[in-house]
Amino acid sequence: MLELIKIEWLKIKRYPAFWWMFGIVALTYPGINLFIGIIYDRQLVRTENKKDALAQIAKMLFGNPFEFPEAWHTTAYFSSFFISIPSILVIMLISNEYSYKTHRQNIIDGWSRNQFITAKMMDIIIVSLVTTIIYALVALSLGIYFDDGHLGRWAEQLQYIALFFVQSFAQLSIAFLLGFLIKKAFIALGVFLFYSIIVENILVSYLKWKVKTGAYKFLPFEMSDELVPVPAFAGSFGKDMKDAYNAAINAIPTQLIYTAIFTALIWLLCYRLQAKKDL
Amino acid sequence: MQQILSIKNLSKQYGKVKALDNVSFNVPKGCVYGILGPNGSGKTTTLGIILDILKANTGSFSWFETNPDNYKRKIGSLLETPNFYHYLSAVNNLKITQAISKRGNEDDIHEVLNIVNLAHRKNSKFSTYSLGMKQRLAIAAALLGNPDVLVLDEPTNGLDPVGIAEIRELIKKLAAQGKTIIMASHLLDEVEKVCTHVAILKKGNLLVNGNVNEVFAHEDIVELNAADKQALLNVLNNLSGYTKLVEEQHAVQLFYPQGTAELDTINKYCFDNGVTLNLLTYKKKSLEAKFFELTNNN
Repeated sequence: MLELIKIEWLKIKRYPAFWWMFGIVALTYPGINLFIGIIYDRQLVRTENKKDALAQIAKMLFGNPFEFPEAWHTTAYFSSFFISIPSILVIMLISNEYSYKTHRQNIIDGWSRNQFITAKMMDIIIVSLVTTIIYALVALSLGIYFDDGHLGRWAEQLQYIALFFVQSFAQLSIAFLLGFLIKKAFIALGVFLFYSIIVENILVSYLKWKVKTGAYKFLPFEMSDELVPVPAFAGSFGKDMKDAYNAAINAIPTQLIYTAIFTALIWLLCYRLQAKKDL
Repeated sequence: MQQILSIKNLSKQYGKVKALDNVSFNVPKGCVYGILGPNGSGKTTTLGIILDILKANTGSFSWFETNPDNYKRKIGSLLETPNFYHYLSAVNNLKITQAISKRGNEDDIHEVLNIVNLAHRKNSKFSTYSLGMKQRLAIAAALLGNPDVLVLDEPTNGLDPVGIAEIRELIKKLAAQGKTIIMASHLLDEVEKVCTHVAILKKGNLLVNGNVNEVFAHEDIVELNAADKQALLNVLNNLSGYTKLVEEQHAVQLFYPQGTAELDTINKYCFDNGVTLNLLTYKKKSLEAKFFELTNNN
């Protein structure tokens, strides 16, 4: 396993797109979260309204979503919107192997067909880890930056780091599957973005609000999106919202099981296809 | 003698096209085995199957008689096109080859790059290479760690005449070291110049296989002519020993079983019978003629 990772690292470390992805994620994650955090802060807390009774009440009710311990959750939620950035890299990593025909050469040189898939899975794990580390650093920094006396509660919601990792790995696995099946980067990427950003959001809204069924929780991306539900402040607007928020939090373990099964099936399919097909 | 590779009844179908039809042959240790055939005859398909990147519909193959799990790591291979990471240099590409195949070490990488004359460009990206340089790198990758068995698919593809000659010399040198080389080619003289054994494929069928001399040289051909061709033919009708007489426009060809044609006897016979020859040459049957004969009659 370690040997496979070393070989994949030889491929990745000099691949410019990897460092581009790294750079863009390292700018986007802090950027979007800081932006939202500052807006929230300005509107409710640190402006000239400071003595405004309404603002004080709001702050009392909601707190700042980027304060500990909510920082872990809030940052995970907003960062997860940008899964398409690492997914571009994931699709490139597999479609490159096809276009360079190195998916054949690796096998000719001595890997078994299974080892090739395992090595690719290691790639996805590496990319998921990199994005998770960036996310965690951002959450940590924002938690300190926006702190208003809750530093002591920093360790309360650390489970969101693990959930963010699982969510990233699950969604990047879908990206990998598309690249693995479609082979052409542009088409795979097009299908991935079109489905994940447009089609599935329409489907979710339709099932959720129009048909009013819980089936939307089984859609490929929504399944793992539910691992990091809308942050706590969204649950502050009335009883219905509060109930919905609590339900979403309680559903996380179930969604985790669904996600694990679905992701396992994706990789099983990759192994099976790889074992049988002409390369 | 140990069989390095044994192929039994391999068949491969692409939709309606039969790429390989019940092909069997053995590759003995230490030979240079040429797989010869026109484009689309199934050469690369055969190599693809024995290297585990294509799945045969029926049939089997075994490497080193025992078919060990890691058989691919004992074989240096070049299949169809040079396949490398475009954004990496020659050295970094070979590091990946080395890590996957476990053949050789860092020093060997520089050595094989020297052998194929790529040392001066070893740090340039693969994407900047010419076709010939890419081919050389692929050969270097196959040579890495000095494997005992080499599988080379059209090894001189894309090389200039000097490069072709160099690679042929290299193959001969490797063969002299006792390595087993399995080589696919559509170039007849390449096979004639370097191979000890040959299998000829046409449209997925194995036409003939075995020792090069046995496959290609069944007959001696004597070409002769005289000013009075009719008189020559009359005289030759009474000559014994040959198996076939073919009248061509500017010559007559006599076919003899291998090694039995004697030019001086023929010359004396004709002269004694009143025909003076103005042409008399011994001609080993050309590989090309044999090849066309083999591939056209089937």
